[in-house]
Amino acid sequence: MAPGPAADSEPADEPVPEPEPEPEPPPPSGPSVEEVQALQRRIDTLERQVEVLRQSQAEVAEELGKPPPVIVQPSDEPATAPSAPADLPYNRAPDYADGFHFGSYGRVVIGGDHRGRAFRNGDIVAYGSRLDESTYAELELRREDYWEATDSFTRIVATMAVAAPLFHQTGSFDTTLGMRNLYIEESGLGLKKLRLWAGSRMYRGDDIYLLNFWPLDNLNTMGGGAIYGFTDHTELRLHAGANQPRSPLFYQQAARPLPYAQPGAAQVPVLDRQKVVSSARFSHIFWLGDSGAGIKPVVYGETHYANEGQREVEPRRFETLPRESGWVVGTQLGMFTGKRSTHLNLVFRAAGGLAAYGEFNAPHQLAPDNSSRGAREYLLAAGGNYEVGPFGLLLGSYWRSFRNASPSLDFWDLNEGALILRPTVWLGEIAGISVEGSYQAQRRGVLVDDGSGGTKPLFAQVGRVGIIPFVTPGGRGNFTRPHITFTYLLTMRDAAARSLYPEHDVFGLRKVDHFIALGAEWWFGSTSYFRD
Amino acid sequence: MSSTMARTRINHALHRALRAAVSLAPLAVLAPGCADFRELDQSTEVELSVHVDDWRDEVIYQILVDRFANGDRGNDYLVNHDDLARYQGGDWQGIIDRMGYLEELGVTTLWISPVVRNVETDANVDGYHGYWAQDFGDVNPHFGSLATLQELVREAHRRDMKVIIDIVTNHVGQAFFYDMNLNGVPDINLQNNGGAMPVRHYTEYDPDFDPRRIQAFTSLGEAGPAPIIFQYDPATNHVPPRPALFEDPAVYNRKGRTYDFDDPDQLLHGDFPGGLKDLDTKRCDVKQEFVDVYAKWIESTNADGYRIDTIKHVEYEFWRFFTQRLRQRLAEQGKTNFLMFGEVFDGRDDLLGSFTKHEILGDNDLIRLLGRTIDDGPTDEEQIAVEQECVPDGEPLTGDQIDSVFYFSQHFQAVRDVFASAQSTDRIQALWQSRYTNWGTEPNAMGIGVAPADMPINFIDNHDVSRFLFNLRDRPAEVRQALLHNALLFVNTAQGVPCLYYGTEQAFEGGNDPANRERLWDTGFDTTGPTFQWTKRVLALRAAYPALRRGGTNVAWSTTHTGDESDAGIFAFERFGSDSGGSYVIMVFNTNQVHASSTSFEGTGMAVSAPPGTVLIDALSPEQASYMVASDGTVDLVVEPMKAAMLVPDTEFEPGI
Repeated sequence: MAPGPAADSEPADEPVPEPEPEPEPPPPSGPSVEEVQALQRRIDTLERQVEVLRQSQAEVAEELGKPPPVIVQPSDEPATAPSAPADLPYNRAPDYADGFHFGSYGRVVIGGDHRGRAFRNGDIVAYGSRLDESTYAELELRREDYWEATDSFTRIVATMAVAAPLFHQTGSFDTTLGMRNLYIEESGLGLKKLRLWAGSRMYRGDDIYLLNFWPLDNLNTMGGGAIYGFTDHTELRLHAGANQPRSPLFYQQAARPLPYAQPGAAQVPVLDRQKVVSSARFSHIFWLGDSGAGIKPVVYGETHYANEGQREVEPRRFETLPRESGWVVGTQLGMFTGKRSTHLNLVFRAAGGLAAYGEFNAPHQLAPDNSSRGAREYLLAAGGNYEVGPFGLLLGSYWRSFRNASPSLDFWDLNEGALILRPTVWLGEIAGISVEGSYQAQRRGVLVDDGSGGTKPLFAQVGRVGIIPFVTPGGRGNFTRPHITFTYLLTMRDAAARSLYPEHDVFGLRKVDHFIALGAEWWFGSTSYFRD
Repeated sequence: MSSTMARTRINHALHRALRAAVSLAPLAVLAPGCADFRELDQSTEVELSVHVDDWRDEVIYQILVDRFANGDRGNDYLVNHDDLARYQGGDWQGIIDRMGYLEELGVTTLWISPVVRNVETDANVDGYHGYWAQDFGDVNPHFGSLATLQELVREAHRRDMKVIIDIVTNHVGQAFFYDMNLNGVPDINLQNNGGAMPVRHYTEYDPDFDPRRIQAFTSLGEAGPAPIIFQYDPATNHVPPRPALFEDPAVYNRKGRTYDFDDPDQLLHGDFPGGLKDLDTKRCDVKQEFVDVYAKWIESTNADGYRIDTIKHVEYEFWRFFTQRLRQRLAEQGKTNFLMFGEVFDGRDDLLGSFTKHEILGDNDLIRLLGRTIDDGPTDEEQIAVEQECVPDGEPLTGDQIDSVFYFSQHFQAVRDVFASAQSTDRIQALWQSRYTNWGTEPNAMGIGVAPADMPINFIDNHDVSRFLFNLRDRPAEVRQALLHNALLFVNTAQGVPCLYYGTEQAFEGGNDPANRERLWDTGFDTTGPTFQWTKRVLALRAAYPALRRGGTNVAWSTTHTGDESDAGIFAFERFGSDSGGSYVIMVFNTNQVHASSTSFEGTGMAVSAPPGTVLIDALSPEQASYMVASDGTVDLVVEPMKAAMLVPDTEFEPGI
């Protein structure tokens, strides 16, 4: 459409036409009066609630001697607290807001070794450097609503995850997909500080970014739970769920004749037991000073349970699988300054029985009674971040001791650990260079020649050094994303580490490896991955 | 101080603490290098030591590891409980767990099946028995880890028990196939063309013996020695053998499957039936390799001896080298009194004993023992000079060989023919007497200190023959039990070291392999059964009377009678002297299955060495029946059919056993 004459322009000489009769007004296409009034009432209600919350938080903050926090909406996504305390404004999940929302975590890694081979993770421990981890992305769609009738909020979360290889790597329309979240959370329903949820959910606490590891609590569950915030800094989370690892210890089908002389056979699930996992987590923040610093202790526990079952070991011959149980107890001590994500989290966790194998891993190397009884895992972990001026330092480390249920030591019994430090210097606000050094070691429950006629436990070591220049539009900060990175990673393996790989595996042949990659990493607006 | 100032100071302190913690945290968690792995760290501390005083005091219990007890579900790979030819799940941890059962039984030495990694499965049979070695230096993962094996030996030693490991030097597992039609792949149904060559069927995995070496052929005729191609199927562990020397085709004889065990060439150079490839054990490098790999197993476990498989399939010269070099190497590390005995699966006593003799025997001697004629071979000096070339340090080789062998001739002529079939007992006396001609009569240097002829390995049955009770399967139950108990008493009181096959104490009755390899845990390790209780009692008696362990032997009565004669079936022998102090025992067996028999015939009584007037008590009789040596030096007693008496002087008698 051409622009009309400016209001201050000269009038045209053309005659002004006679006005035509006014047509009948068209039926209104916008909201009706009643709808507008309803919207207005709702806005008014929301504003009142916001005001109440603001006053409430201001009072609490005053008691604690710190300025009122910026957050005024109902507290953020509870199950995905960040490394630094979840309550801090610089490091939190998205707020509730009406409507549809999109969030994402993702990384794409394009690289290989110096000889042109495609890359794969070169760690020998369960959690090592993530510089050579593969492509992965989560695409999250949320619907969030306020319900005037109940004065409550609803969040429906659907997170689809995509793992490598991508179409552009293979040319194949074949993608590895997983539904990582599919749940509803109700907030303020009945009790203002109560949240209820049900569905399929990534349900976890604080991670160690450098290790891509949630050391204390990391459940992927089909279940439900309740979260109650006694205050803005004291919270209790309870949850229970069920899963069914794909293992003959949990599920087995057998062919059986069809009834009533029908031809053919039916697959009958002769073993179909589930694992029931429940968890409890209690956290509290002690504020120190008025700068946002504090200490957050967390205590955590899980129970795992599977009822007894029976499976077919030969046609029509069954063996009983005993009732299984497991437990986890753990604690975390978080310390944070409230500035630039500087924090340190220390974690201890112990697990036994079924839980020692993890939530999805079917037990193996069983006890003589075919159970996981006697399995143990002990974990110490530390993760942290420190930033000052143009410098930053990320830390990730852990030590883990795992003994499976079989009474003898074997290859799957191990002690292992890793230490990673990643100092970063930012070059202005748009770029930076990180250097990552890591050491990882593992002892396994097997004996090897010690080179002098004797034997010794297998002790494997890997050292890695990487340099990662990057550009970032978000300015300084170890948790600022997106990043576009270039990575060079040098990996050194000792003879024992090489011996862990099968014959002719290049990792078993190479003492030194070079990994070169271009990468992209982002996160925004996601309930399951959020950092500033 | 205001609260604001205090908070500020706290805040600053926290910042400092955080900075310090961030920098120190790595030290706190950099633990993997010094992480405690107590179980393994202890395992590395293997110090060779001697746990045997006199091997004649021992009672060996043969354990087929896969069948004894399943103590570790973690190594139950490919278990199939419906097929005894497949793995069943037994392991070393199971033995550790059940040592109390063995202790209660009274056995003192555990012979465990081979520990090395095997071909997993071949022709639908698994290598559960351990005789299909693929890697002589690694453990069979079905049985556990090296640490568990070490723990097994440690636990045995803690209980004053010993461990003997089964080994093989004759062959490896199904390592390769003969590419007879030169097409590069294994064929299992191959035949030649006929014409000048008669039509024959072959399998390239296990072709029949050819003294020229297995020959290749094409449609035009023979094409020279067939190349061998090592199989490569990691899933069944058909991968080239280890150590690396055994990947060299030159170390194999490559003559195909033995079918005539009396043909010396086949016996020594043929593949063992089942496709087990025969090594050229005359090669110096093969000899030395076996010394190295088998020394290593002792050095890393502190086990106490070796049971050696398929001895007669390997040349005498190998045994001289192997036993002497191994004894020397272990003794240098403090491991003396190391027992090596083995299997010569043959009823010919002279052939058995030849592997324990000290003369310089050669291939020609074996040929003669197999009943073939041959010209004289090299002199002893010439023979040993050739063998000496294999000795790198110049230590002179002697005629010493193996410490003992399984008494297969007794198994056939006494256990089978007399104790099961009631044939005349004079054959036992004749056999025993010939032992001192056929077997070595001097201890081996650096060996166990006992002459082989004084220490045969006595057994009723083992994993290679059907169980004793199987051969009596048509007899009434009470007869079978009585015969088994009498045979058990015989092998535990005859001179030598008894060796019990697992499951005998549970009255297992399986037929030939694999039916005789039952799962012991199916019995629940019951210790209340009559055969368990009888075995336990017999072993307790053996332990109580030194003469039964270390004494010499004097046959007091044997007979050709098997009918109605008064002494039909009687076999009696005295055990005394040698290193047994003043201990004295007379064993009297009635092997007749019909009537009671006595130790006299037509007025002639059984003369014994005990002085006249000596009161002898039957330690087996519930009422402790006593007998007196008559003034003419004889003892007369009647023994019920399929029973025995154990006469000990009243001064030595130990009641309550």
